[in-house]
Amino acid sequence: MVPEWLDIAVRSIFFVVVLFFITKWLGKKQISELSFFEYVTGISIGSIGAEVAMGLERNIFHGIIGIVIFAAIPFLSGLLSLKSKKFRDFVEGTGTVFIKDGKIMEDNLKKERYTTDELLELLRKKDVYQVSDVEFAVLEATGDLSVMLKKENQPLTAKDLNLTVASIKEPQTVIMDGVIMDEPLATIGRSRAWLHTELEKLGVTVENVFLGQVNSYGELTVDLFDDQLQVASPQERPLILSTMKKCQADLELFALGTESKEAKQMYSKNSEKLQEAIDKVMPILKG
Amino acid sequence: MTVGSDVKQCFVSLKGVEASLSSLALRTLDDDSKRSLHETMMVVHEVVTDLKKRVGELEQEEFQYKGF
Repeated sequence: MVPEWLDIAVRSIFFVVVLFFITKWLGKKQISELSFFEYVTGISIGSIGAEVAMGLERNIFHGIIGIVIFAAIPFLSGLLSLKSKKFRDFVEGTGTVFIKDGKIMEDNLKKERYTTDELLELLRKKDVYQVSDVEFAVLEATGDLSVMLKKENQPLTAKDLNLTVASIKEPQTVIMDGVIMDEPLATIGRSRAWLHTELEKLGVTVENVFLGQVNSYGELTVDLFDDQLQVASPQERPLILSTMKKCQADLELFALGTESKEAKQMYSKNSEKLQEAIDKVMPILKG
Repeated sequence: MTVGSDVKQCFVSLKGVEASLSSLALRTLDDDSKRSLHETMMVVHEVVTDLKKRVGELEQEEFQYKGF
């Protein structure tokens, strides 16, 4: 006869493993946003697991059957939800509009049993303190409030200012804790040799680098273990821009200085051309 | 210093810019930025070509400073 404590230990370990794989199988959705279905199954699976682990008089396989059924139903309903919008609305619920055209929908608030205080709290969580700033707000099925501010209260974007900004790609982290990461390095088509050259340019060794990233322009920026050391930031792009500006000014000077009509024309034409080129690459070189 | 040497200096700087732009264009990952940089490089190249011609003319005029 196995002692009771050993039985509990074995059952506990067994159920931790079972729960781990069941949750993995159900996917990220189970842990990220709890729709009410997931909420119910999450609690039930946990309870069954605990109950069977501790209740020695119960059959361990009955527990597993319970858990598998509780896991299978949301899994199947998830598959069905992908196919049918009606089913999805029924199972996962739909959002409720709380604010429309800048006006609070009192009836919807009542329907979801939210008080004014709770609405204000949800708005504050979204950094909104004045209800009149809101154009539209909807309570999602998951219980989050999504807020669309009125246009004049929305953050200013480059588009609003008619600014042209350079489009960029995501930076790659190539050094972590002094260790070179080969995969991100390969993604941007660089070799270890290149990285060593860049590090040499900065005057640091790999071991001293806590974090190293390569940006969209192939420039390496590093954070060192030793925070007393100063590392140079990449200067190439601003340098190109300033040289271009200087040459453009020179060309204008030459145009003023020369007596030859032909040369004057050539200088001013090229200075204009260069100015246009500068305007074009300014967003890229400035950043 | 003469006008010729000033023009020469500008010419050399622009040639450097052309090379830097070209290498930056090669290293840049974003396609739009890459294209802009490349097009700018072409424009700079045209300016460089014109300047080179002018440097030649100036050397004819100030032949005692020849050396290019």
